[in-house]
Amino acid sequence: MDPILTTNILNVVYEVSTLAVVVLGLAVVFGLLGVMNLAHGEFVMIGAYCAFFVQTQNLPFLAAVPVALLVCIVLGLAVERILVRPLYARPFDTLLATWGLSMLLREGVEAVYGRGFKSVAVPLTDSIDVLGADYPSYRLLLAAVSIALVAGLVWWFVRSATGRRIRAVVNNPELAGSVGIPVTALARNTFVFGCCLAALSGVLLAPLMPVQPMLGLDFILKSFFVLVVGGLGSLVGLISGSGVIGGVESIVSAFFDRTYGYTTVLIIAILFLWLRPNGLFPRT
Amino acid sequence: MASFLGHSAALVAALAVLPQLVGEFWAYTLALYFLYAIASLGIGLCWGQAGFLPLGQAMFFGLAAYLSGLSLIHFKDSWLLLLLLPGAALAPGLLAYGIGLLVFRGRTLSGPFFAMITLALTLLAFQIANSWNDVTGGFNGLKNIPGLPGLSDFTDLYYISAVALAVCLLAIAWLRRAPAGVLWRAVAQNEQRVRFCGFAVQNVKAAVFGLSGVLAGIGGALYAPQQNLVTPQLCGFILSADLVIWAAVGGRATLYGPVVGAVLIGILTADLRDEISYWEVILAAIFIVVVLYFRQGLMGFVEPLFERLSRRRAPRALDSPARPQASGDTGFALDDVRVRMGSVSILEGLDLAIDGPGIYCLIGPNGAGKTSCFNAMTGELPVRSGHIRIFGSTRTGNAADLLSRIGVGRKFQAPSLFPDLTVAENFNIGLWGGRARLRDLLGMRSHGWTSAILREAQARFPFLAEEDRRAGDLSHGQRQILELAMVLIAEPRLILLDEPSAGLSQTETQEVIEAIRWVSGRLNASTVIVEHDMTFVRELADRIFVLHQGRLLASGTVAEIQADNRVRAVYVGASA
Amino acid sequence: MQKIYKPISRRHFVAGALGSGAAVAAPAILTGAQAAGELKMATFYALSGPGSLFGPTQTAVTKLAVDEINAGGGIGGRKVTVIPSDGGAPPAEAAKAAIRLMLRDKVDIVVGSHDSAVREAIVAALKGRVPYVYTPLYEGGECNPNVFVTADTPQQQVQPSITWLAKTLGAKSYYLIGNDYVWPRKTNEQAKKYIAAAGGKVVGEEYVPLGAPNKFEDAVTRIKAKKPDLVVITLVGGDNINFNRTFAGFGLDKSIKRISYLLEEQTLAGIGDKSSNGLYSAMSYFENEKSEANAKFKAAYRKAAGAKAPPLAMIGVDTYGGVNCAKALIEKAGGTDAAKLMAAASNLNYRTPTGTGVMTNRHVVKDMYLAECKGTSFDIVETFKAVAHGQTCS
Repeated sequence: MDPILTTNILNVVYEVSTLAVVVLGLAVVFGLLGVMNLAHGEFVMIGAYCAFFVQTQNLPFLAAVPVALLVCIVLGLAVERILVRPLYARPFDTLLATWGLSMLLREGVEAVYGRGFKSVAVPLTDSIDVLGADYPSYRLLLAAVSIALVAGLVWWFVRSATGRRIRAVVNNPELAGSVGIPVTALARNTFVFGCCLAALSGVLLAPLMPVQPMLGLDFILKSFFVLVVGGLGSLVGLISGSGVIGGVESIVSAFFDRTYGYTTVLIIAILFLWLRPNGLFPRT
Repeated sequence: MASFLGHSAALVAALAVLPQLVGEFWAYTLALYFLYAIASLGIGLCWGQAGFLPLGQAMFFGLAAYLSGLSLIHFKDSWLLLLLLPGAALAPGLLAYGIGLLVFRGRTLSGPFFAMITLALTLLAFQIANSWNDVTGGFNGLKNIPGLPGLSDFTDLYYISAVALAVCLLAIAWLRRAPAGVLWRAVAQNEQRVRFCGFAVQNVKAAVFGLSGVLAGIGGALYAPQQNLVTPQLCGFILSADLVIWAAVGGRATLYGPVVGAVLIGILTADLRDEISYWEVILAAIFIVVVLYFRQGLMGFVEPLFERLSRRRAPRALDSPARPQASGDTGFALDDVRVRMGSVSILEGLDLAIDGPGIYCLIGPNGAGKTSCFNAMTGELPVRSGHIRIFGSTRTGNAADLLSRIGVGRKFQAPSLFPDLTVAENFNIGLWGGRARLRDLLGMRSHGWTSAILREAQARFPFLAEEDRRAGDLSHGQRQILELAMVLIAEPRLILLDEPSAGLSQTETQEVIEAIRWVSGRLNASTVIVEHDMTFVRELADRIFVLHQGRLLASGTVAEIQADNRVRAVYVGASA
Repeated sequence: MQKIYKPISRRHFVAGALGSGAAVAAPAILTGAQAAGELKMATFYALSGPGSLFGPTQTAVTKLAVDEINAGGGIGGRKVTVIPSDGGAPPAEAAKAAIRLMLRDKVDIVVGSHDSAVREAIVAALKGRVPYVYTPLYEGGECNPNVFVTADTPQQQVQPSITWLAKTLGAKSYYLIGNDYVWPRKTNEQAKKYIAAAGGKVVGEEYVPLGAPNKFEDAVTRIKAKKPDLVVITLVGGDNINFNRTFAGFGLDKSIKRISYLLEEQTLAGIGDKSSNGLYSAMSYFENEKSEANAKFKAAYRKAAGAKAPPLAMIGVDTYGGVNCAKALIEKAGGTDAAKLMAAASNLNYRTPTGTGVMTNRHVVKDMYLAECKGTSFDIVETFKAVAHGQTCS
């Protein structure tokens, strides 16, 4: 196979799979709590800054994972208690409150680290030969980890007792509560879990992007577009949405350029929002 | 009216003397923030009045700024500017109106989706402004834009902005008090009821959004000659966000809130950004606190006091115009109507026909499809197959607002009205529906409309004459009766009532029964009632229809139905 | 007016002849009461926004220049006071600040190091009523009255470096990538001219949006397919870092050379030593420049700014020349009269970190350097003397 074509295909796989992990966190929270957490991207950003922090402390890259999880568990618990829980009955205000939170986190990190770009060293710098194409091994690893993560979570969701409970709450929160499922605790844990997933993506993606306070904005928009295209609250929708948004951007960018890639994604998202707001795979 | 004139005079005087008090530099600064404030006023209209949040207002501000900038560059000193500059301000309004029509069309829920569409659109606008180098000048923007002919001094710029702001404020103050404003607030509270009163909600919302586009456009069109430079940031996410924050902190539902927010926070930000490194963090925290605890914003504490002092309700002295098509055929027919939701079949070939005035009751066990029958008739549920004819024409899938205008009224099971509006305003929405033309909605006279039905309803239920009470403060039974009265004052020929006696006391039930009998005869209408209370049914029904599992099981007089073994079997089966 | 709206406090640093040299905060209310004869210099540096990583250097270098000037008796006998403003703010905010500085603080001169959109806004606000010195590298073409530019122009960056690289590396095919705005396009215009002159060929040219969250996997894959000898990079800030890291990540640094036209010490630190192999930069200042003047400049800077001094890099150090240019202009013109300043700007000599700049046509003829990255520092491989700026302002 043509090595350039192989490289392009791997680029698409990389973009789609890493995007899917970010969206998964957002989708789980939206599916269960009905809360569109507009600060989701900022948790990705915080994860990335944790990777940078760990590097400045001369610790190994992977040490960033527990640091980021710890930070986001604490932060997630606080946010759930202060912002999300009091506003369950006011979805519109939740949107605004989490939007305010995103500004707060962005400006807070900026106050500490400044607007400048931070760089995190890539842990694996060699490349691997895939069907004649030289592809950077960290990117390959990241794509593999992302796919495994999404697949693992889907499997867990379908099989485990907690997964069943979550599905029960999604279907009928009142009934679930009356049969003894601790709905409040489950909602809290799900929110924190979503934040942690975002932070984990942030850590893993940090070496491959300039780390700066505004980076979350791109993730939240793209993730939202994925949910819009794929449909809210279904896993098939999540994967197909990531495929459409990530894939279209990569492919259009590969054939034309980034301006077109970016604009095409925006137009697709607007068309979906307008004409098919429930996405490709709406929840029944 | 007198208070409006007094208000106008005070506003104009304050804006006129301000530059003398604060000096040239602050006059210049205020001039800029006044333009932002005008755009923020538009958010106040959409979000504070009509209840939907646009997150991409900068797109309209930027569009107007580019159009105005290009006009000034290419037609410097030409008389064409007299057309082009107002055009630059109006074009975003048309765009917004168009977007509103498309997005709101056929969609009952607009909340977050609308917000996110506008956000995506503003990002798209930024991309276009940033990349279209030949026209917009790309990242560096349009430069060396000439100022408005004949104006050079900073104080001149101030007066232009101040005049624009004053005009916009006065126009909005008028609209907020006019029937249009009441209608917007009604839309924010209960879109469904507004539709069932005969208003095409999507057009109302699109009009408000269009108006907000014009406001952003006025700001943007004046920005270009004032700043002599237009850059893509004007279309961007940050300005869009700022406009929303200003409206929220200042008080989105108040008249002056967005202006106070824009001027106060804008100036604080401009001065404090260099001084306090955490200023942006503080601002974000303030915004969160406002969203959580002070939704009314700063002016929300102040303005209602003044409004209460100045607001007096117009006396009901003017008979409303008659509804068109107030008389004629009153029959309807459902022919093999099928409705499914997901995998559940709700109506399975329902046949039902009424051909003349009278009182008809729909009964049947839970899940028989009684309310669904109403929903299918009023376009709330999609009909998969079959036909619905109302007053002799095919009306399958027609929208509720259209049906209301041809004379179909509907009362819901749980009272559906506008809890934050007064009883008077609730009545007015009912009176205006199908009767008020655009100029009635913009003028003040239609506040004083009344009708014979309204007077009679108030005579029957004296609490309905206490028109300054908030509808949400009424008891459950009173709200049921208020909604019924709202339906009746629209003088429909076909009245659909869903459990009108639910939650009523014995006496209230009796009063309602009499009211229905009275109005049904008075309007010579067909009244169809879904009811469980058999006493109610026995007293009122000329004819009864029994529904079971989405089909018509039996129909006949009270006596015939009571004698029907199939009906008895269904009820026994259902209760077993 | 100041009685009604008293700003909280506006930072000033008054570097005294007696030499405390420390920045002191003075409330704005005092600025009106300052000794007559003091010369007020407003600065617009990137205190916020994407360029804010350059802000600390700009501020520190300016302070050094002003301290030196005041220690030597000021400008034409007047002590210099600096009033800083944010050049990283949106253009409308910067314009507002410029108006405030002009009307309320009555500044004598403005020195700015920021992007071109903010420059346009400031020029439009000042309308030539206050002289304005613009210092960072830019696309050229700024000829408005009473504006003086000490920046590197595309002609100065591109002509000698491309010619040298074509000859020395034997580069035949070139790939151009930049952000989509006027500076990269103007720079590439020059590049294409000199690539053609050197007998080379452009095999690809692309622009990515400025301010969008760009990724470069696709661009790097395209470059991999085209196999050029040299990639000419006019990306800025985070895009420059991201592109170069992706480029090296895909292993292209082993076979393809790169030159970036906005690459100084801070951006290079962001790119990192793993990704800088075969990367060149061409500008009028590198910290590693070996002249005696630069050694003195660096020593003075370290002494004044201390151990934690912000790094010396081109965007930042440019303000040293800017402040000294302002001094030379005012002294030669004998004041701040616009016409006299415009006349004084022809053949004006002023002090720069590496020696002397010569202003003609309100731009500067200067020495340019071509440097190759070695890890995260620059190794100057060639010096081009007195390179023409190619601008024709009257």
